[in-house]
This record gives sequence, C-alpha cells and structure tokens, in this order.
Amino acid sequence: MNPTPTTSADDGGGGFDPQQAAALLDQTTTQARRKLAPSPPWLLATRAVAVLAALGAIWLTVRGQHPYTGPTGADVPILIGFVVLNFAATVGVRQHAMTGVAGTTRFRPAEIAVLTASWAAVPVLMWALHAAGVSFALYPTTVLIVPGLAWAAVQGARDGWRGSVTGLAIAATGVVGAFAGPAGSWAVAGVGLCAVLLGKAAAVARQQHA
Amino acid sequence: MTDDELDPLIHVPTRLKIVATLAALPDGDTLSFTRLQDLIGLTPGNLIIHLRKLEEADYITSEKTRNGTVSVTTIALTGHGRKALSTYTQTLRGLLGGLDGDGTADHEHQRT
Repeated sequence: MNPTPTTSADDGGGGFDPQQAAALLDQTTTQARRKLAPSPPWLLATRAVAVLAALGAIWLTVRGQHPYTGPTGADVPILIGFVVLNFAATVGVRQHAMTGVAGTTRFRPAEIAVLTASWAAVPVLMWALHAAGVSFALYPTTVLIVPGLAWAAVQGARDGWRGSVTGLAIAATGVVGAFAGPAGSWAVAGVGLCAVLLGKAAAVARQQHA
Repeated sequence: MTDDELDPLIHVPTRLKIVATLAALPDGDTLSFTRLQDLIGLTPGNLIIHLRKLEEADYITSEKTRNGTVSVTTIALTGHGRKALSTYTQTLRGLLGGLDGDGTADHEHQRT
C-alpha cells in the first residue's frame, strides 16, 4: 500500500448499534452500486426518451410519404446528432463510473472486437440484402439485428440468459420492424428501443436497491 | 442473539463501508485505492489503517503495480471477505428481527 498513515482511525464498534449498522450497510451498498454502475438507470431512461423522440419525429415526417422516399434532408442531421450524442454520453458515463475499476466489469478486447465487428457488418448485411432484393433491407430496424445479437452473445457469455435479454429484445425489435413497412419501421424502432431501455433502467434500479 | 456475535472486524463504521463498497463490485474485480478513498470519503492514512486490518484477516487483498513513474494500489474483496460480510448481514438481520417496535433489542429487555 502506498500512502503513509497520517491520522488515527476509530477501531471499536462501541456505540455502533445494529440498527445504525444496518442503515449504514444499506446506504453504502446502494451508493456504491449507483456510483459504480456503468449504465445508470437515469441514463438509460434519458436515452429511452431521446430515442423515442428522435425516431418518432422521423416517423412523423415519413408516414405520409407515398411512395416512401425516406427521411428528409433536415431529419438526417438530427438523426446523426442523436447517434453521436447518445454514444458520447454512454461512453462518458461508463468511463466515469469505471474509473479505478479493473476486472470483469470492463469489456475485454475480444468483446470490444465482437461488438465493433457487429456494427461494421451492418452496412455489409444491408447492402447484401438490398442487392438480393429483400424489401426490408434498408429499414432502420434492420440496423438493430446484428448488433443486438452480438450484444446478446457477449452479455450472455458474461451473465447467462439474463444478460442476453436486452440484446435479444433489440434484435427482436429489428425483426418486428421488417413487417412494419418502411415508414412503420421507424415507429417500431423508436417504440421498441424505448421499451428495451426503460426495461433495462427498471432492472438496474431494482438491482441497485436489492 | 447479541451484538457480540457481529464480526468485530466488520462491525466498525469505516470498515463496514469499505467492505460494503468492495462487495458492490463483481467477484474478482478490483478498485484502485484512490477511487475507494473517493467513494468512502476518508483520508489516505485513515483508510490504510483499516485496509491493513482487513488484509491481515484475509478479507481483502491489495496489489501495488507500477505504471512508469506512477504506482497504483488496487484492492479487492476476497471470497473469505465476501462470506464474512454475508454472515455479518445475516447476523444483523437476525438481531434486527428481534427488535421491538420502539427499536429496542430483545436482549436489552433481558438484561434489565
């Protein structure tokens, strides 16, 4: 240990009754879980609202298109801005929470490689489906399938089936969107991702107070 | 059941906070000394005294690594420490289960 003792420390539990101990244990555990959470419930809930607002706004502009031409020029910067902001906030909060933490909580290089590859595979898959004439190839929900499955695999390997639920729900949203049509898939993506994020936020909050 | 059954190593406010904070991490994960200090809000000297006591009892392990000119001390709860906290928590629950509505422990009544 590096620092040199500079102050004396209390050593006895005298005057520390069981009720005080239980309250301190409960408070410390909740506080530590909250501060060390890589994805805190407030961030997940904020992302849920933001994704619903961003994708819902695009759905409102494309739902009346006959034929469907896709998001307008004004929608694209909003979408890109949302993705960048979402990514930056998620990474920033995670890094802050993980300061000084080492071990299994952090992603291993192999896991980061799998997740990065899954995102890199998205345009390739969409192009291949489009070339094959698949109707839902360019739907926004199609983007979710491969990263959702990759997330399920990575988290499932870490925490078992419970860990894979979020990823599978994201992939399922992608599959459902394939049946919703080009405009409807924006709504499916927004509602589906919002529901997944809110569910995750509730699960993390429950875990923190368990 | 009496207070005496509570593990005296853990039944000290500062050490209870240390052990509970480390237990919030998954088994095997480590926390740097500075982050632990930040989470608990202790002076380095005060923290190190309690860490030494916990380490002597094999409740925690500490490891010092050198990264260039900077040395980093990491701390982890051992399986033994996790089990001790679990036992402490169960004992605490047992004691509180025997409390009256006014918050007075049963054994207090027995003494008087």
